[in-house]
Amino acid sequence: MAATIPSLAIPGQRLGPASAYSAGPGTHIQQSMIYASIAGPVVVDPAQPKTQLKSTIRVSRVPTSKPQTQTDSPAGAASTLPKPKPRYNTLPAVDSIVLARVTRVQKRQVAVSILVVLDESTTAQSIISPSSSSDNDNIASILTTAANPENHSNTDELRFQALIRKEDVRAVEKDRVVLDEMFRVGDIVRGSVISLGDQSFYYLTTARNDLGVVMARSEAGNMMFPVSWKEMRDPVTEVGEQRKVARPF
Amino acid sequence: MSILNVFNSPTTFALATCVMADRRRINGPPGGTRPAIYATSLPSIKDADRARRQRQPSELRKIFLKTGLIPSASGSSYLEFEPSASLAAARANPKSLIPPSSALKLACTVHGPKPLPRSVAFSPNIVLTTHVKYAPFAARKRKGHIRDASERDLGVHLETALRGAIIAERWPKSGLDITITIIEAEDDRWWGDAPDSHDASWGMMNVLAGCINAASAAIADAHIDCLDLVSGGVAALVTDNDGGAPQLMLDTDPAEHRSIVSACVVGYMPARDEITALWLKGGTSKAALDEQDGRSGHEALVDGAVDAARGAHMVLGEAVKESMERALGQTT
Repeated sequence: MAATIPSLAIPGQRLGPASAYSAGPGTHIQQSMIYASIAGPVVVDPAQPKTQLKSTIRVSRVPTSKPQTQTDSPAGAASTLPKPKPRYNTLPAVDSIVLARVTRVQKRQVAVSILVVLDESTTAQSIISPSSSSDNDNIASILTTAANPENHSNTDELRFQALIRKEDVRAVEKDRVVLDEMFRVGDIVRGSVISLGDQSFYYLTTARNDLGVVMARSEAGNMMFPVSWKEMRDPVTEVGEQRKVARPF
Repeated sequence: MSILNVFNSPTTFALATCVMADRRRINGPPGGTRPAIYATSLPSIKDADRARRQRQPSELRKIFLKTGLIPSASGSSYLEFEPSASLAAARANPKSLIPPSSALKLACTVHGPKPLPRSVAFSPNIVLTTHVKYAPFAARKRKGHIRDASERDLGVHLETALRGAIIAERWPKSGLDITITIIEAEDDRWWGDAPDSHDASWGMMNVLAGCINAASAAIADAHIDCLDLVSGGVAALVTDNDGGAPQLMLDTDPAEHRSIVSACVVGYMPARDEITALWLKGGTSKAALDEQDGRSGHEALVDGAVDAARGAHMVLGEAVKESMERALGQTT
């Protein structure tokens, strides 16, 4: 059966019967047959041996001919990882980790524009085995994501906008948060999407140790390094500034 | 002294008031006009010079289609029809500076999925917008910079053809802009012919078929989920000799035919045998086909257009595969 599945698919190409496989991202079902809905390499994810589940056919969005190579490096950890939720698009979804730039700081909320939606498999992996890879290693997912500024114009209007509300900045002492001491315009923030929000904004949270400001410039304009969870320091002027800092490792 | 007299004469005074336009009357044009002279009535233009179809009735023109040529767009494609044989012959042996026919050339860009503008309400689906614009130099008659009615019409037709094929619910809160620039359009008739009674913008139908093909290639290039590669095809009933029965021709170049009775363009999904858009122009009631052909005129037209679309789909599939293999080659 597996021999009949093509290695590359174009939209509308028949991949296999829905009775033998379940349809993953990049496919759709029409009259109990699975068809491709995007162009790309066809990947069959084998089902867990003990369960009754069917193997999943999906069409990979990332143009790598061997999609397994990235999970190969921490060989032991990869098999024990919980399977990431299937992603049907490259848009920010609930629980996806994004990198965003602060565009406006107000009294009750911070407006950011989303630069990159990080791939969930890599994010989960980097949390468990932090030394093996950083977010920047998954170049392919960064380059193909819709929110990548390289794929669009550089203006903030053309990126997905998001808000970090005051109560979503940190988990402790939520009512003492002063947003001016948490973010400045231009900071690069790692956040997690908590809601698709309304017509114009997604909602992000940074209320986790690994979320918060990852890159910031001081008032003197130098790139700062983190010294604690709430302070970053300028290496030249030695002046500290307050931020909600993401755990750097 | 005599010149001064002329200026003061009552007749010149009357002329001067005439120049100031009287808005309550229907005034003639301010400059002189000439009656239109059609090229066919000129002795130097012979009817023998007109372009003639040299393909079989069911033979399509070759299509050049390539994706991913515009780096700033998330998906793009460029489409070109093979110039008809008459154009190649005219280039080899030029009798006139005016080319006998034109061949479609167009570029399509897909921008998105991108955030919707702030004024637009929340949408759980992707919002599709299509723009079709002729370059000013695309047709024999120059086009303005603002989209005119025919260009907006093409945009609406293109949107209908594509909307059913895109799986919109997989892309919430985002918009997709499809912009097509027509670099060279198809003619509506042979340039030497005068527009006559059953003349219509036949070239637009070929343009729409080209737009559909280019747009589906660009959407596939942008990795937007769709049910199938929608392909466009044109068929027409033409009469080339006076009084003869109309013949069904696929992928007609209007410049090559003396008169087109009716034409049809479809947007077609071959994988599920569904038509997403159908546009029929002209009368099919009087069109008598062959004796053994039991179909009515419009049935034959739609079937022909679907056949043409099937042919275009093969090119489309190859182009998408080619761009995919190119992308794979870059990463490995």
